[in-house]
Amino acid sequence: MRALTYTSFLGIACLVLEIFNLRKIVVPVVVIALLAILGINFTEWNGSSVSFYNDMLRADNFALAFTGLLIVTAAGLVAMSGSFYDTEETKLADYISVIVFTLCGGIALVSFSNMAMLFIGLEVLSISLYILAGSKRRDIRSNEAAMKYFLMGSFASGILLFGITLVYGATGSFNLAQIALYASGPGVDPIFVVGVIMILIAMLFKVSAVPFHFWAPDVYEGSPSLTTAMMATLSKVAAMAAFYRLFSVSFVNNFSGFAWILSVVAALTMLVGNLTALNQDSFKRMLAFSGIAHAGYMLLAIMSLYQNTANALFFYTVAYTFASLGAFAIGISVMKRRKSEKIEAFNGLGKSNPFQAVALTVFMLSMAGIPPLAGFFAKYYVFFEAIKTQHLAVVIVAVITSAISVYYYFKLILAMWTKDSEETDAPAGAISYIAIAAICLIVTLALGILPSLVPSINQVASK
Amino acid sequence: MLTIYLLILLPLAGFLINGLLGTKLSKGLSGIIGSATILGSFIISCMYFFGLVGGAAPTEVKVFDWISFGNIHINFGILIDQLSALWLMVVTGIGFLIHIYSTGYMHDDEGFQRFFAYLNLFIFFMLLLVLGNNFVVMFIGWEGVGLCSYLLIGFWYKNQDYNNAAKKAFVMNRIGDLGFLIGMFILLYNFHTLDFNGLKAAVAGGADHHIIFWATLFLFIGATGKSAQIPLYTWLPDAMAGPTPVSALIHAATMVTAGIFMICRANFLFTLAPETLHIIAIVGAATALFAATIGVMQNDIKKVLAYSTVSQLGLMFMALGFGAYTSGAFHVVTHAFFKACLFLGSGSVIHAMGGEQDIRRMGGLRKWMPITFGTFLLASLAISGVPPLSGFFSKDEILAHAFEHNKVLWVVASVASLLTAYYMFRLVFLTFFGSFRGTHDQEHHLHESPMSITLPLVVLSVLAVVGGVIGLPPVTHMTHWLSHFLAPVIPAVTEGEGAEGTSMELMLMGIATVLAFAAIAWAYARFVGKRTLPAEDGQLTGLGSVVYNKYYVDELYNLAIVKPLLAASEWGYTVLDKIVVDGVVVWSGKLSLMTGKQLRQIQSGNIGFYLLAMVLGIVGIFIYVLTYLQ
Repeated sequence: MRALTYTSFLGIACLVLEIFNLRKIVVPVVVIALLAILGINFTEWNGSSVSFYNDMLRADNFALAFTGLLIVTAAGLVAMSGSFYDTEETKLADYISVIVFTLCGGIALVSFSNMAMLFIGLEVLSISLYILAGSKRRDIRSNEAAMKYFLMGSFASGILLFGITLVYGATGSFNLAQIALYASGPGVDPIFVVGVIMILIAMLFKVSAVPFHFWAPDVYEGSPSLTTAMMATLSKVAAMAAFYRLFSVSFVNNFSGFAWILSVVAALTMLVGNLTALNQDSFKRMLAFSGIAHAGYMLLAIMSLYQNTANALFFYTVAYTFASLGAFAIGISVMKRRKSEKIEAFNGLGKSNPFQAVALTVFMLSMAGIPPLAGFFAKYYVFFEAIKTQHLAVVIVAVITSAISVYYYFKLILAMWTKDSEETDAPAGAISYIAIAAICLIVTLALGILPSLVPSINQVASK
Repeated sequence: MLTIYLLILLPLAGFLINGLLGTKLSKGLSGIIGSATILGSFIISCMYFFGLVGGAAPTEVKVFDWISFGNIHINFGILIDQLSALWLMVVTGIGFLIHIYSTGYMHDDEGFQRFFAYLNLFIFFMLLLVLGNNFVVMFIGWEGVGLCSYLLIGFWYKNQDYNNAAKKAFVMNRIGDLGFLIGMFILLYNFHTLDFNGLKAAVAGGADHHIIFWATLFLFIGATGKSAQIPLYTWLPDAMAGPTPVSALIHAATMVTAGIFMICRANFLFTLAPETLHIIAIVGAATALFAATIGVMQNDIKKVLAYSTVSQLGLMFMALGFGAYTSGAFHVVTHAFFKACLFLGSGSVIHAMGGEQDIRRMGGLRKWMPITFGTFLLASLAISGVPPLSGFFSKDEILAHAFEHNKVLWVVASVASLLTAYYMFRLVFLTFFGSFRGTHDQEHHLHESPMSITLPLVVLSVLAVVGGVIGLPPVTHMTHWLSHFLAPVIPAVTEGEGAEGTSMELMLMGIATVLAFAAIAWAYARFVGKRTLPAEDGQLTGLGSVVYNKYYVDELYNLAIVKPLLAASEWGYTVLDKIVVDGVVVWSGKLSLMTGKQLRQIQSGNIGFYLLAMVLGIVGIFIYVLTYLQ
């Protein structure tokens, strides 16, 4: 778990660089440092599950794998922030340090083994995001987004805290292992069940599942695009992993009732997310609803909770993260050039910037689950696990909505390839955007051809 | 390991360079890259081949795990054993010669780089086909060469007839491929593996006879598509629309022998299904005779060779049908030599004639083109089965097997061989003897082709002459090198030597030789002695006209299959698609969009409503859980 320590230091170091007026080198320094931390993170891979700080955190394969994914995502986001904040250079280091702190929250979320750590991780992540959502201070929409996010988020935090308290009241412990012991014992107190439900609801809010999703589209649309990218990737993946970790360790024995709730929620999420995305004409809003729908697919993995589903979930998050990150990289650079967030802004991209158009097409197809791209296997594994655990009805909904989703992904693809733009000049985007899109493209293609490249994390969270 | 990757990837690299850079490369450089990559593969092939000849063990490499589901695991595996090494030599060796030839032949074509890109891609897929250690990898190659064949037949895509020929080849092949796929699925379903070694082990302990029968039958249907046998042969003559080097490489020497390779590769299955073998023998013999009769009446120099190829492939299949896999493979090799030489020779003639392909407009060309004539003559003698050229040995071996197994098929095959000698020398005499019958302009233009064209011709003609040494008949008391070499892959069949005896063998050879000479003499008398010319189009009557029009098989297929299919598809389009399918799709789409519009209204931006929805959700969950708890 050295990654968490180093990342925290890195966040502070950013602020120090600012003090010494070394703003220019902050982006490369942070990216390189993050990659170094990534390396350090994987030196612990496949070791036995080690606990830290009186079992507050636990480094097992699950935690390390997700930590790795989060670090890569954060590195990509930081790399893009250099040219994204080019109008607000003076605050660049601040923003980057907030991004790094968000990563800290994320790492805590995927490796906690104590409820206190879960709460701290979630709050660090959320508060950083509230700040970032409002980081375009003069933009009224950015302010609105931050405000909405904060209001709804604090509501959810309250519910989470309440739930944790109730669980503590019943079990007398914050420790996941202790709670699991209690949960598997005889005579579970109703208070405990109520507590678990409140935690469940809070987690559903964080992953923007229906009917707790309402914040997502508004916040995604209003926030600066880079923050939107962060919410869609880093924050969603971290919350989803925390959700899985919590339930797979502590509540797995009381799960049958919750699985039913989750299957209804997952089905609703997929339906509402995909159907609402159909009519969107804003790129960011479309991706927000698509992100809600993807949360529904990921819930399938949590719903069919057992050993292998961690693998399915991890594969899904990897495929989804890279496709989203790549799509945002190109999306941001196009939206910035054309000064519009509408899908029409992508008209004619196929002619003016063929590489970007090809890459974005691949990302969209991967999200739609078209073989042989990563997204296809992601869906395949998740569906496969769900069928194995007798959730056929939800999988049918998932397949149908997945077919529906092709419509809106193709809306963007058609705009790029079949429509002409009025604007003739098409300067290429910043090099960092193109590089990130290229990396995401390679990963998306490679995982589609060789899905076995993603390591198995079968040594699931500690028991 | 590295050499194997190089062997396969060099042609792919050539394809990528030529394909991606295209006209940015100069023609010279493009030709050099195209040829050099194949030369590299050829050298590596030689290494493996001579290693195996020297007694080295076969190499099997698992490149990566490819498909894994349930208890089925399919690897991307490469197998270099005696059989694949033999094909490697033919594919890369003749492939290299034809690349060289193409640098001369295609020199003035604007699609030069594209041509080399396709040709390299073809070699890449052919290598996959040959080197796969399971049916799936072989199938990738199988489909890939089909694709390249399609691209190259329609290479001059501005001509609609050529495009139609390309489409026809593709569709016919797809029909066969369906058979191949069904065969594979039968095997996979029953044996849970498609590895050749795995299958061999699976059937070694005895297997359900019906399964083997159906699997091999469907695989054979796949082979009839790729290797142009009845009833799927009609695409090959039309495939001559492609540039001549393509006809030589793909439609004579390599791709069309894929069906034979596949059956040789899976010989352990086919041996267990005598009924399938019987069908193969009959189809092969029928094709051999049928195509040979059509070849007699054709006037297009490449069409004659095309029907000859169909006919020769028929002979090879007949050999396979007798379980004489080695003899089939032997004929593949010698046929590759002389047929490639013949096609390239015809290309040289066409080149000199400025694109003219009708032998009625040629004549006396030996005066102008001595090298082309000499090599063409040698290859013709070889295909006619004149001793001691290569074709004599391989064809004789097949005929000997036929005589042993089935006298009727032996007669059929002998007649086919007789006709082969006749139409080949009809071609030789009409093209190279007599006086020139073309226009004055063409005569003015006649010239021997450049080095890049004549050199491959010479090499191939030498091979066509001496190629027979790899399979000397028992009567010579020498080892049959090829069957010895292939023995680890193909268990040797018991030769009829003991039963039939040397005298019988000599008698068969004698009959074959006399027939060949008689046919040549007959052709000489007719086309040189009497100076007969084939009738102009439309002047033929009766049987001649029927044969000239290829027995109207194309028309029959059109009437019996294509027209009903088109009618059915018209109905499917207007009724099923337009009304039923479109209706369902459009309405479910409209329904989705409408629902989406309604759902969108909920997203009002009003945070009070959001919180209300959240609370309602919480209450809903609680109500459910509390009822559930009781």
